[in-house]
Amino acid sequence: MKKIHVGAMAVATAAALVMTGCSTGGAEASSDTIVIDMWAGSQSDTDALNAQLAIAQEQNPDLKIELRTAPWGDFFTKLTTNTASGNMACVTGMNSGMLSSYTAGFAELTDADLKTAGLDPADFAPGSEEILSNKGTMYGLPFDIATMLVYYNQDMLDAAGAAVPQPGWTFDEFEATAKAATTDGKYGFAVGMGDFQWQALPIAKSGTQPVETDGTLDLTNPDFVDAATWYSGLVTDEKVAAPVASASDAGWGETQYSGGNAAMAVDGTWNAVTYLDNDSGFNAGMTTLPTGDNGSLGLILGSGFGIAKDCENKEDALKVLGSLLSADAQDYIASSGRSYPARVSSQPLYFESIDEQHRDQVEAVFTKAFEQVEGQKVSDNWSKVGTYIQPQLVSVYNGQESMSNVLESAQQQFGE
Amino acid sequence: MSNTKQIPRRGTLARAESRQALGFVSPALAGLALFTVVPVVLSIVMGFFNWPTFGEKTFVGLDNYVKLFTQSPDFWPALRNTFVFALLYVPISVGLSLLLAISLSARIRGRGMLRVLFFIPVVTPMVANVLVWKMMLQPQGLFNGLSQTWFGVELPNFLADPQWAMIMVVMMSVWQGLGYNMLIFSAALEQLPESVVEAARIDGARGFRMLWSVTLPMISPSLFFASIMTMITALQVFVQPQLLTGGGPGNATQPLVQFIYNQGFKFQELGLAAAAAWILFAIIIILTALQFRAQKKWVHYEH
Repeated sequence: MKKIHVGAMAVATAAALVMTGCSTGGAEASSDTIVIDMWAGSQSDTDALNAQLAIAQEQNPDLKIELRTAPWGDFFTKLTTNTASGNMACVTGMNSGMLSSYTAGFAELTDADLKTAGLDPADFAPGSEEILSNKGTMYGLPFDIATMLVYYNQDMLDAAGAAVPQPGWTFDEFEATAKAATTDGKYGFAVGMGDFQWQALPIAKSGTQPVETDGTLDLTNPDFVDAATWYSGLVTDEKVAAPVASASDAGWGETQYSGGNAAMAVDGTWNAVTYLDNDSGFNAGMTTLPTGDNGSLGLILGSGFGIAKDCENKEDALKVLGSLLSADAQDYIASSGRSYPARVSSQPLYFESIDEQHRDQVEAVFTKAFEQVEGQKVSDNWSKVGTYIQPQLVSVYNGQESMSNVLESAQQQFGE
Repeated sequence: MSNTKQIPRRGTLARAESRQALGFVSPALAGLALFTVVPVVLSIVMGFFNWPTFGEKTFVGLDNYVKLFTQSPDFWPALRNTFVFALLYVPISVGLSLLLAISLSARIRGRGMLRVLFFIPVVTPMVANVLVWKMMLQPQGLFNGLSQTWFGVELPNFLADPQWAMIMVVMMSVWQGLGYNMLIFSAALEQLPESVVEAARIDGARGFRMLWSVTLPMISPSLFFASIMTMITALQVFVQPQLLTGGGPGNATQPLVQFIYNQGFKFQELGLAAAAAWILFAIIIILTALQFRAQKKWVHYEH
């Protein structure tokens, strides 16, 4: 019988090992440790986070702070499982576009909380409070802000003799440039597949978002439908953009642009530096979204940190959050050129980090682009809406389906 | 070492050995329990719950199943796509790989090389394969480029057309999976008993007659194995449509597994995903059982 005990022991030990193996990823590595969970796609991302963690550590010498990272895509899958198993890190990174699916995991940030964290929203760029808010409840504050821009390939525009877009340009000028640059099998524009990328121009043109303030889906808003139909018409009617090849090309417009197949594309400010230093070697430029009869409405997006609802050590977590968004940490983000900081006083440092030949343009375009922005409104099932619409867009761009039909059937399916 | 001496000792020894064996397999058993039995049982339970990733889980009985069959706009198309894919993929894949194996069973020069070539897609990562196929199929890709310069004909946008997209997913999958079945058939063909083949030859069997009445019955166990495995992988298809067409255009190439993935990991409706997964499991088990029943008629195990 002794050996059976040995066997049972082995099972128990193995199981114990496996189980502890599972739980070391959890938040409660030790109860007085504040865990920060954030996405990081590369070593340089992790290094930058560690530098911010060092700032937080310096400001809170008595706290133990720990960093956990995962690449962008995995981060949200992991967050889903961590939240489900009650292991969400006290200080968790969040992005404006993803928040609506995760509000259940985050605690509301009240004025008292912000005071504990040592943060004053007035120090942040206008609209910052809306970035990590959902239906009027604030769940976090951003460390960076972003909006959508039109990027252009200076070389292609010059070769086609098209006028170089200036900040504040109009939709007519946009169409003229796209038409002029469509020559020799190259296209003047590349349509987007991602929610932000394809909706940016329709939102700017119509001056309205496809969701109401209370989170009601409003995809069939006539102004938005008209603008979206005009957008898909760039491929099907105007033929100034190539039809998308496959629904799996989630970054179609951006790759067409960076691959030199299209002269213009819409993408976020977060990619400004990447495009300026593009691998293909063309001269890249940027400008604001075009202006139409309804102005040029843009979305203010961004990423930041929030506090987990079931965080046991909320006060300490708030202090860490405050440090991560402190002027020191924001100055670091800005001067490293990683992203455009939300704290107004740190923003000039970002422009200083940009290569001198692009600096004035980036500063002019960014300043102009953030003038007319509002927080993104999303419905509760916004990720479902996006997942439904994206593969349908392929049919729209290939002329097999109309934009208004797709928006209407999405509204019917997800509208309640 | 006579038998009589061993009989009394064998009992205790065997018992001791089986105890030791239990000790040795226990880590594996623990792993099996933790990573297979628990999730499987949990998924059965989940199928009967409204199970959001966070928030209240509520027992809903068979509601998830009812919802799938009557309300979900994507479930029936996903089921249809899975069957269309399997119906196209299984016969083409098994037939083509059999043809290849037979053509390469003759002792021609360079057949080892050819076998390696056909096997390469099986071992290369699917992501890389899909990338190459995409580069060939998209409008600015190889096929359309060649067709336009040579014939001046513009090819359809393969991956964005509802009919073509499914055909391309099947084509890519056949190309990807061909080598594996070919290897199984080749191995079976190499092992045909000489005596039977020779006897058939003396009796005058040649060509198609030889193939139909002698070779195929002899390799029927391999055929059976290959068709069952191919059918199961076909019903579980996910990577090819996910990467090649993204399930689109619309939901024209979204198979059941991608539907399950979307429900579970994009929409966080784990209960619905678990229910759909069990429907898929039932389909696979039933079809496999039917194939096992049918094998009595056409599979010959004795040489």
